[in-house]
Amino acid sequence: MTREELIQKWLDHSLNSEEQKAFEQLEDYKDLMQLNNALHSFKSPEFSVDKNYQALRPSLKKKSTQSWHKPLLKVAAVLAICFSVYYYTTTLDSTFNTEIAQQTTIDLPDTSEVILNANSNLVFNKSSWDDQRNVKLNGEAFFKVAKGEKFNVVTDKGIVSVLGTQFNVKHRENYFEVKCYEGLVGVKTKDNYTELTPGNGLKIIDGKLFANEKEITTQPNWLRGESTYVNTPFKHVITELENYYDIKIVVDKADADRLYTGGFTHKNLELALKSVTIPLNLSYSKSGTSIVLKRE
Amino acid sequence: MSQPIKDNICEEQLFERIYKKHSKNLHDFLYYKFGDHLNPSDKVQEAFIKLWQNCGKVTPDKAKSFLFTTANNLMLNAVAHRKVVLKFEKIPQKKSTNETPEFVLQEKEYHEKLQKALGKLTEAQRVAFLMNRVEGKKFKEIAVLLDISTKAVEKRIYGALKKLREDIDGL
Repeated sequence: MTREELIQKWLDHSLNSEEQKAFEQLEDYKDLMQLNNALHSFKSPEFSVDKNYQALRPSLKKKSTQSWHKPLLKVAAVLAICFSVYYYTTTLDSTFNTEIAQQTTIDLPDTSEVILNANSNLVFNKSSWDDQRNVKLNGEAFFKVAKGEKFNVVTDKGIVSVLGTQFNVKHRENYFEVKCYEGLVGVKTKDNYTELTPGNGLKIIDGKLFANEKEITTQPNWLRGESTYVNTPFKHVITELENYYDIKIVVDKADADRLYTGGFTHKNLELALKSVTIPLNLSYSKSGTSIVLKRE
Repeated sequence: MSQPIKDNICEEQLFERIYKKHSKNLHDFLYYKFGDHLNPSDKVQEAFIKLWQNCGKVTPDKAKSFLFTTANNLMLNAVAHRKVVLKFEKIPQKKSTNETPEFVLQEKEYHEKLQKALGKLTEAQRVAFLMNRVEGKKFKEIAVLLDISTKAVEKRIYGALKKLREDIDGL
C-alpha cells in the first residue's frame, strides 16, 4: 500500500489495525499527528441543539396557527374596507357652497327646493332624510318646503322649523333673519320661540331683536337680483354688498352703526354703490379692489 | 427519511426532528466556511425560521438543502452588507502549562502558522477538511451533507492537507 493511500485511509478514519501500524511507520507520521492535534483547537464553538430549539420555538408558534386563517383574514379585510367605503359614502353629508355673486338651486331628497344665495353654505344628510329633514345653513337661502314631516333649518343662532311652506333664512355674522312667505314658521332661538305667519319676519342683529314690518311679497327680493333693508345697521349692508361684488369696502366706524333703509341691485356695482351711499350722504372712491366710503 | 408519505414539514414534531438532525452540522458548516464574525448560530436560527415559514412548500427530503442554501445566502448577504474580507481566525485554547517556555513558544508559533494556512485554503477545502478532522466525519457523511460526490470530498480534503503542510513548512 502506498503512502498516499495510507494517508487517504487515515483521513477517512478507515484504517484497519494492520494499516494503522504501516501508517505509524511513515516518516511524516509525527508531522501529521502534530497537525491533527493542533487542528482540534479550531473546533467550532459548542452549539446546543436542545437549548437553541427551545429558543426558536416561540417564533414558530405564530406561524402554525396562521397558515389556514391567513387567506381568510385577507378576504375579511377586503370586505371590511369595501363595506366601510360603501357605508361612508352613503351616509356622507351632502355639502353645497356658493361663491361671491353666485346663486344655486338645490333639490332636496323630497320635492323641497332651496335657492342658496351668494357666499353661503348648506349641508344635509341624504341617508337620514326620511327620519329627519334637517339642513345646516350658513348664509342666506330661500326654502320651498314640500309637505311632510317637520323640516328644520339649523343655524348657530337658532332653529327654524316648518311643516310645509316658503320662507327665507339669512344667517350671517351677528345677523340672523327669518321671513315667512307662506304657511307657518317656528323660530326657536336661545331665548325664545316665535311663530311667524306669512309676511312676518324676525331679525336678530348683534344679539338684539328687531320687529319686522309686515311685507306683502311672495318671495325674497334677492331672488330678483336686489337687496332691500329697513333700519339695518350700515355695516351689515356693507358685508352683504361684499357678498355680491368681489370688492372690499372700507367705511368709518361712526358710519358703520348708522341705520340704513333702502336697497341695492346685484347686477351693477356703480348703481349699487350710489344707492347705498346717497341716502347716507356719503361719497365713494375706488383704490384697487377696495372702495373707500367717506362723508361728503 | 422515515416518513416518505409526508409532502410538507408543517408538523412540529417532524420539524423538531429536522432541527435536531441538521442544526449542528449547519452551524459547523457556516463556522468553518465563514469564521465566527457573522454569528453563525443566529444564521442557523434564521434559516430554520425561513424553513418553518415555507414549511408547506418543502418536502422532508428537501429540507436539508433548503437549510444549507438559505443559511449560506444569509451569510453571503451579511458579508456583502458588511463589505469585509473574511479571515478564518480563532484564538487557540489554552492548554496545560507544565511545558518548557521554549515548547510553549514553538506551540504558539505553530498555531499561528496553522491559522494563516487555514485562512489560505479555499472555502470548499476548509469546510470539508475541518469537518473531517475536527468533527471526525467520514468522506461519505460529508459528501451527503454538501451534496457532492465522495470522490470530490476526498480530493478536497487531500488537497487541503497537502496545501496546509506546504504552507506551514514554507512559513
